[in-house]
Amino acid sequence: MKRFLETGNFAITEGAILAGCRFFSGYPITPATELAEAMSLRLPQVGGFYLQAEDECAACHMCVGASLGGMKAMTATSGPGYILYADPLGWALGCETPLVVLNSGRVGPVSGITGAPGQGEFYLMRYPTQGGNYETICLAPNTAQECMAMTVEAFYLSERFRMPVLVLADQLITDGFEDISVPENEDEMKEMEFRVWPRKVCQGPEFYPFTDDLDIPPVVLGHNTGGVCSDWTPTVEGYDIEEVEAHHKHAYRLIYKVRNHRDLFNHHYQKKFMDDDPDLIVVSYGSPSRVVNTAVIKAREQGLKVGSLRLINLWPFPDEHFTQRAKYLSVELNWDGELVREVQRAVPKDSEVHFLGTCGDLPTTPDLIETFEKLLKNEPISRKGWVLEEW
Amino acid sequence: MEYRSSEITSKYLRSKKIPSTACSGCGLGMNHKIVVQAIKELGLEVADVVWGTSIGCAGRQTFATWKGDGFAGTHGRAYAIARGLRIALPPEKKIILTVGDGDAFGIGLMHLIHAARSNADITVIVNDNLGYQSTGGQYGWTTPQGSHTDSSPYGMFEHNLMSDGMDVLEILKGAGATFLARHVAMDGALAVETVKKAILNKGLSLVHMPYPCPTNFASRELGSRNQVNIYRWIKERAAPLGQEKENTVWATGIWYDASNSRPEFHEFIHETVEKIRRTGTL
Repeated sequence: MKRFLETGNFAITEGAILAGCRFFSGYPITPATELAEAMSLRLPQVGGFYLQAEDECAACHMCVGASLGGMKAMTATSGPGYILYADPLGWALGCETPLVVLNSGRVGPVSGITGAPGQGEFYLMRYPTQGGNYETICLAPNTAQECMAMTVEAFYLSERFRMPVLVLADQLITDGFEDISVPENEDEMKEMEFRVWPRKVCQGPEFYPFTDDLDIPPVVLGHNTGGVCSDWTPTVEGYDIEEVEAHHKHAYRLIYKVRNHRDLFNHHYQKKFMDDDPDLIVVSYGSPSRVVNTAVIKAREQGLKVGSLRLINLWPFPDEHFTQRAKYLSVELNWDGELVREVQRAVPKDSEVHFLGTCGDLPTTPDLIETFEKLLKNEPISRKGWVLEEW
Repeated sequence: MEYRSSEITSKYLRSKKIPSTACSGCGLGMNHKIVVQAIKELGLEVADVVWGTSIGCAGRQTFATWKGDGFAGTHGRAYAIARGLRIALPPEKKIILTVGDGDAFGIGLMHLIHAARSNADITVIVNDNLGYQSTGGQYGWTTPQGSHTDSSPYGMFEHNLMSDGMDVLEILKGAGATFLARHVAMDGALAVETVKKAILNKGLSLVHMPYPCPTNFASRELGSRNQVNIYRWIKERAAPLGQEKENTVWATGIWYDASNSRPEFHEFIHETVEKIRRTGTL
C-alpha cells in the first residue's frame, strides 16, 4: 500500500487506472480540470489515452466511442459541462455502453461561483438526459479515499449493468488534500473491497435482449460480431424500430435491470447513532455530510438524540433507509432544497421533514447543533432553513 | 458497375435492411451503392469496416445496412464518437461514416473540423439532399441560394457554406483534412474511383455527394415529385472541376488530395503514448 497526501482528483485517477480505465476525454472546467490534468500525466504511463476535446459534448461522445471500441473510459466535468453530457449520456444509456462520469459540483445556476462547492445537480444525476424510460446509478463519495473506492466501484457496476455510472462529488472533495492509500496489488485491492469486472464482448445475435438480466456483455464494435447500436429504439438485433411495444420492452430493460439489482450497490451508505430510535435524523451526502458527522457526535455529547444517515448510493434513491418515525433534516449545498424532496417522498407519512441549505460554503458545526436543538424543541429554524410544508 | 441487387448486396448488406425505407425515387441509394462498390473494388471484407451513420435521411436509411459492425450516433456527433472509436480500434479497421448535410455541415461542423484537425483515419461520405428533408424539407447550410423550402418560402436568402463563392470544403482543408472531393449521385463509376481513394487515405477524407430528393426538396423547389426533373436539375448544376459553367453549383472530382501527407491520429497518438510509457518523456 502506498500512501500519499493528495487530492480527490489524484485518488479518482488512481482508482480509474486500477479499474482498468485507459481512456479519458474531458474539457477544462473548474473544479474538474485537475482531474483531467492528473489523467493526462498518468494515463500515458500505463499505456492509456488522454484526449482533450473541443467541448464536453465531444468529450463524452469520444468516451462512448472508445468504450464501443472495447476500452474502459471515463470523463469528468462540473455543472456547466455536465449539461452538455445530456446528448452522449442519453445515447450511452440507450446503447447500453459502459462508461464512468464524474461530476464535481460547484455553485450554479450557469457558471455561478466557479471555485466553491455546490449540490445543484442532485436531480440531474437522476435525469441526465431527455426522454425518460431509464434509471441511473449514482454514487456520492465524501472523502478523497472514498473517491478512489467509488470510482473503482463505478467501473465495476458500469460493466455489469452495461450503462454509464455517475459519480457525484463536489469541489471540496475533489480539490481537497487528504491522506490516501493506493493499493499496489490484487490482494491489497481485495482488502480494500475494490471490485473489478473485465470488459467482455457481446457475441450476439441478440444484442439487446428484453430482460432485466445483468452481465450481458456490451456491444463492442470491431470484433465482427455484427453488433450495431443506435439512438433509436432497438429490436433485439439492434435495428431501429418505430413501434410502441418494442419500445416498451427496451424501456423495461433500461429501468428494471437497475431496479431489480439494487442489492449490488445499495450497501453504500453510512449510519451513525441510528440504532436507538433517534428523535432527529440528519440526511446528507458529499462534503456537508462530514460536518454533519462532527455535529452529530457533538450533539450526542450534549445529550441530543440525533442520528445521521449519510447517503452514498444516491440513485436509485434508497427509500429503504427512511422507515423510522422521526423528524428528518436534510442538509444540502443549495438554497432550493433538492435531496429534501426525495426525503419527503420516502419517509413515513406523518414525519416532519426540514431543510437546511447553504451554498458555496459548508454549514458550521455550531449552526447545525443550534438547528438540531431548535427542531427538537419544536422551534422554527428560520434563518437558513424552512419547513418543507411551508413552501 | 452493377446497379441491381447483386453479389455486392448479398456479400456486404443485410437483407433485413435492404431495400431501405427511403422514399420512392430517393437518390440516396445511388450514393450508398457507390460506397459499397468502392469497398468491393478495394477488396475489403465485411470485417474490415466499421460503418457509422447519424441522424436524418442519410443516417437512418443507411444504418445497419452494412453486414458488419456499425452504429448510428447522435445528431452531429458521429465525428467525435468515431475519434474515440479510432483510438480504440486497430489501425487497419476502416471507419466509414455515411451522414447527411445537416449533420456534417450544421450541428456537427465543429466536431468534423476537429476530426480534420486530428487527421483521424475516417472516411466521411456526406450525402447532401440539399437541406433537412427528413423533417419535411427545411433549408440547410449547402442549399442552393434562392431555393424554396418549407422554411424559406420566399427563396433561401441566407448566406451559407456554398454561396457567395464559399465552399464548405475550404473550411475542412484549412482544418487539416487530407482528402476532399465532391460528386453528385449520378457520377457513378467516377465517384466510385474517388471514394476508393478516400478510403485508402490514412487520415480524414470527406466526399461531399449531393443527391436528389424528389419527395420534399423537389416538390417545393420544382413543384414536382417527378424524379426525372430533380435528377436533371442537379445534373445541370454539376460540372467537373475546371469545366464549370455559369450555373454550376457543384464542381465535381477530387478537390484536394494530400493523402498520407500528415501523421494519422491513431498512429500518432499510439506511438506518442508508447514512447511516454517506455521513456517517461516525449
